[in-house]
Amino acid sequence: MNAVMSIAKTTIGEAIRRRVLLVILLIGVLFLVIAPGLSVLSARQNYTVLTSFTLGIIQLTSAVIAIVLTVYLLPNEVERRTIYTILSKPVYRWHFLLGKYLGAVGALAMMMLLMSTVLVLVFKIMQKDASMDDVMRLATAPIFFFVQMSLLAAVAMFFSTFVSPIVNIFLSGGVYLVGTLFSPVFQDLSNNKSLSPAVKGAATLVHTVVPNFAQYNIQGGIINRGPELRSVELYYVTIVGYALIYITVFLIAGMMIFDRKEV
Amino acid sequence: MERGLGSTATRLRWYNRIAIFPGGLRLLNLAIETKNLTKTYKTSSGPQSVVKDLDLQVERGEIFGFLGPNGAGKTTTIKILLGIIDSTSGEASVLGNPAGDIESHRKLSYLPEKPYYYEHMTGMEITQFYASLFGIKDRELCERLLNRVNLGNDMNRPISQYSKGMQQRVGLAQSLLNDPELLFLDEPTGGLDPIAHIEIRDLILKFRDEGRTVFISSHELSDVERICDRVAIINKGEMVHQGRLDQLLSGGRIEITADNVTEELSAKFRNEDTTVSFKAGRLIADIPDSMKPGEVIDAIRGAGGDVVSIIPRRKRLEDLFLESVAGDNVVKGRKLSKMTDDHDDHVGSGSGEIKEEEVSS
Repeated sequence: MNAVMSIAKTTIGEAIRRRVLLVILLIGVLFLVIAPGLSVLSARQNYTVLTSFTLGIIQLTSAVIAIVLTVYLLPNEVERRTIYTILSKPVYRWHFLLGKYLGAVGALAMMMLLMSTVLVLVFKIMQKDASMDDVMRLATAPIFFFVQMSLLAAVAMFFSTFVSPIVNIFLSGGVYLVGTLFSPVFQDLSNNKSLSPAVKGAATLVHTVVPNFAQYNIQGGIINRGPELRSVELYYVTIVGYALIYITVFLIAGMMIFDRKEV
Repeated sequence: MERGLGSTATRLRWYNRIAIFPGGLRLLNLAIETKNLTKTYKTSSGPQSVVKDLDLQVERGEIFGFLGPNGAGKTTTIKILLGIIDSTSGEASVLGNPAGDIESHRKLSYLPEKPYYYEHMTGMEITQFYASLFGIKDRELCERLLNRVNLGNDMNRPISQYSKGMQQRVGLAQSLLNDPELLFLDEPTGGLDPIAHIEIRDLILKFRDEGRTVFISSHELSDVERICDRVAIINKGEMVHQGRLDQLLSGGRIEITADNVTEELSAKFRNEDTTVSFKAGRLIADIPDSMKPGEVIDAIRGAGGDVVSIIPRRKRLEDLFLESVAGDNVVKGRKLSKMTDDHDDHVGSGSGEIKEEEVSS
């Protein structure tokens, strides 16, 4: 695993220096900082607007970073021919792919940590009477966004083993949108007994193949402070386990394709 | 175990060359062997073979030059030997194992053409990164190797500040990390200034002295001619020549100079294989040695001429190369250069460059 960790470390070092990612991160942080100013224009409560807007910024920025970061990881190595030098060492291809993925996730973690820190600072400054409990609840959301983005990075890594970066952006973005916006719809359709078996089957297929990204959007409960689940911890463990299973499946599928690919 | 400085390669050499077969012990003298190696790609115009039935033998401890024009299949062959791509058919073995075997990768190294390194890293970090891929965490080894390639004072500078020659030297340092028995060097001197060029050429010669096998793919024919023991020339994926350089370049030409020769006599020697000049009774005839020079000399003397000099000229690798790829890659009308034993005037001029000049003119 030495090789995997070395590749991951190098990938992090390179990713956090990529200008395009830094610009996206800067824009995200900038929006987080000016978010309180925007909330003044709103008629809704400050807390609600501030929380939903800032969490939305973190989620959107992280998704863009996850896709842009991951789709170029393999193609860049092939284009610059660094992959030949690495694969001529005693390094299996799956080592390389796993190292690249872990590096992407590591870089994502660092960038999201920065945004989350800014989020908490802005929240503390604007909501001076907010309790520690409120802050902790707010800080939970980015953790699940991170799990969500790790899953999205695995999807993008899988596609990068056989499509070009531009196509990958659309494919990964599409899977993310479908998994975020329509996964609950497909889940309902697959459970709807009044539908024909064909429609139910198709809905089940989409619901199974496309990861359910929507379940990581826990900001609704944070913003509205609605009734809580009987066991929040169990729910969290379940969705993290779900992500780990999908990440494993996507990475193994990617490794199998990459192993046979002529680079 | 001391790595990267040659001693191990020499020490391990004898027993790495012996294998037990049903008939007894056998000496394994080949570092690389391919049999009927073929690589075919499917294209819109049908299957296209990039490498065709290639039989290659590289002996251990030699510097082997792998030559061919652009698109001849050199890089594809190297990729197959490194296990980066699979062959369509045929066999390829490296250090006694099938090509791509991870065990072989522990004993070989590869320096790609125009290597790229992560620019945010220093020379030392790059070397340490590649060391870690072998599970080596020896910073001192990295330092020693960087010193060996004369980067001792620059090892902590970012790669982005390195010149092309310095980057190439980092590549050589990383290629020695595992004390390799076999080195694949793709255009190791390409685009370097003369000093860096000479330094790297000398390093390659030292690798051989340390008992390593060096497989060089290059367009720098003068370098190949200087340092290689054996060469293979491929064209359009097929082997054209393979053998020892001295054998391949033997059978050259002879320049005969004679005075008091008549124009009628000089005309007798003119044909498509000879170059004859005649001026004021002096004849200079450049003839292939297959033309029986003794008969030419007898003819001159028989007609009352005086033979002034007879200079045998060895064939040059450039000429062999051009002959090998003539009709395909050489610009029509280019006359093969005259045989000469002066090779020093071609340092740094590859055949590729010559061809480009010919095209542009």
